Amino acid sequence: MSEEMKADLELDLKGLLCPMPMVKVSQNIASVAVGGTIRAVATDPGSMADIPAWAKSTGNELISAEKIDGEFVFMVKRLK
Amino acid sequence: METQQMTTLVGVLDQKMNRQLKQYLDICARCAICKDACHQYVATQDFKYLPARRAELIRQIYKKYFTKTGEFVPALYEARDPDENLLDELYESTYACTGCRRCMYYCPFSIDTAWILSVAKAILIAAGKGNEMLGQLADAALFKSDNFEMFKDIIVDGFKDIEQQVKGLTGDPDAEIPVDKQGADILYVALAGAHSILPAAVIFHEAKVSWTLSYFEAANYGYFFGDAVKARKIADRFMDEAKRLGVKEVVITECGHAYRVAEIFHEAWSGEKHPFKVRHILEVIDEYITDGRIKVRPDAIKEPVTYHDPCQIGRNGGIFEQPRNIVRALASDFRDMTPNREQQWCCGGGGGLVAISEMDEFRIKSGTIKAEQIKATGARIIASPCENCRLQMEGLNDSMELGIEVKAIMDLVLEAMPLPGSFAKDASTD
Ligand code: SF4
Ligand code: SF4
Repeated sequence: MSEEMKADLELDLKGLLCPMPMVKVSQNIASVAVGGTIRAVATDPGSMADIPAWAKSTGNELISAEKIDGEFVFMVKRLK
Repeated sequence: METQQMTTLVGVLDQKMNRQLKQYLDICARCAICKDACHQYVATQDFKYLPARRAELIRQIYKKYFTKTGEFVPALYEARDPDENLLDELYESTYACTGCRRCMYYCPFSIDTAWILSVAKAILIAAGKGNEMLGQLADAALFKSDNFEMFKDIIVDGFKDIEQQVKGLTGDPDAEIPVDKQGADILYVALAGAHSILPAAVIFHEAKVSWTLSYFEAANYGYFFGDAVKARKIADRFMDEAKRLGVKEVVITECGHAYRVAEIFHEAWSGEKHPFKVRHILEVIDEYITDGRIKVRPDAIKEPVTYHDPCQIGRNGGIFEQPRNIVRALASDFRDMTPNREQQWCCGGGGGLVAISEMDEFRIKSGTIKAEQIKATGARIIASPCENCRLQMEGLNDSMELGIEVKAIMDLVLEAMPLPGSFAKDASTD
């Protein structure tokens, strides 16, 4: 799904160690409008739990979280 | 501000009041010795970062509501209400503090400014002015444990990926990352990142110890946020796991504040004595090397290496020698920084500051003294057992062009171990 959608902001979080991928998504969410999306690509497997937990606990929408060719790709929608 | 809210905020101070805090608030002689101890004040010369000034804001509320003189003649005694102005001033000087406690070390009365500022955080949170980012990260950690079934398989899948690398490095197809192992001797609590799991898994495998990996990460943003209830619940996640599994000890990864929370604060917060020991991973690795349970090549690292004492492990945690023993065991040119151990300068990355983007510029500036210390050693590698310190020193390395490599101690240990896997070519020189 994340491959087809064009995000408002692309975040390259490859090489960052957890929890920094989650921290970066959190720091950047305010830079997209409400209803806007962030596509983030991380390489640390810990992000597969961290970023969804952050999205759900902050009331944002996790559209997708996928493992693609050894990378972790997230699409997050700002809801508030 | 509504009178009702003012009463609530004063109530928070009242709840936190004990003999120690009262003494800290009464005793300050305003000698300002602490100004030369704080890396943030020294680097910025900004009055708001002077330790005694930060505490003074709480002292002003204290004078107004907890002393007779301040109550009756507030202007004379600089007694103030916790109004919006005071809270705005308090916010910046409080959340900027890394909690390094270097000011306390040099204060002639040992006033613990960081403790006073933990009370300031409680007041800010009660006023709805806690740092939003740190609060969000704390909530995300709790969401994971409150909805554990939603995350369990994802977390374990991540561990399985890392397990493949453990098999490769050890050359043992049966090597594993045990999870939820009842009766294991050690519960190892890592960070969410693979970098803190892989080297420890290899070391435990080679040392042939009985261990199991916690489902939960050691990092505790509730502590940085300043909410003792959330901080305790975040630590409860692995403390309860340790009790359930019946382990003999909980071993915390290379993370400063997580070690201090687990070793020093958690028992006080929970009001219960742990039925197990709590140690830092470097205490354990030092023991393994000394006892010959793992081998490291003595000259594995030939480039000059220096060591940064993370405040929460060194000055505030009492671990000084074990990391140095480890580095000396594998590096032929170890160079200590000056000053070091109890007196070392904070790098500027603690207190959750690496997560607060609006403080990025200030944070890097506050690391000027650390950067100078590193340069003076001429080292090419800086090792430090704290994630926040490493992130900060990577920032200093980039912005001040120090030309160093920043490493965890476990990474150096892994490079120095004669393993049949990826590092085998080095081992052949053994
Ligand atoms: S060194 Fe201690 S007594 Fe002196 S100003 Fe600072 S906190 Fe107060
Ligand atoms: S604890 Fe550290 S950062 Fe905070 S005021 Fe004291 S010296 Fe400064």
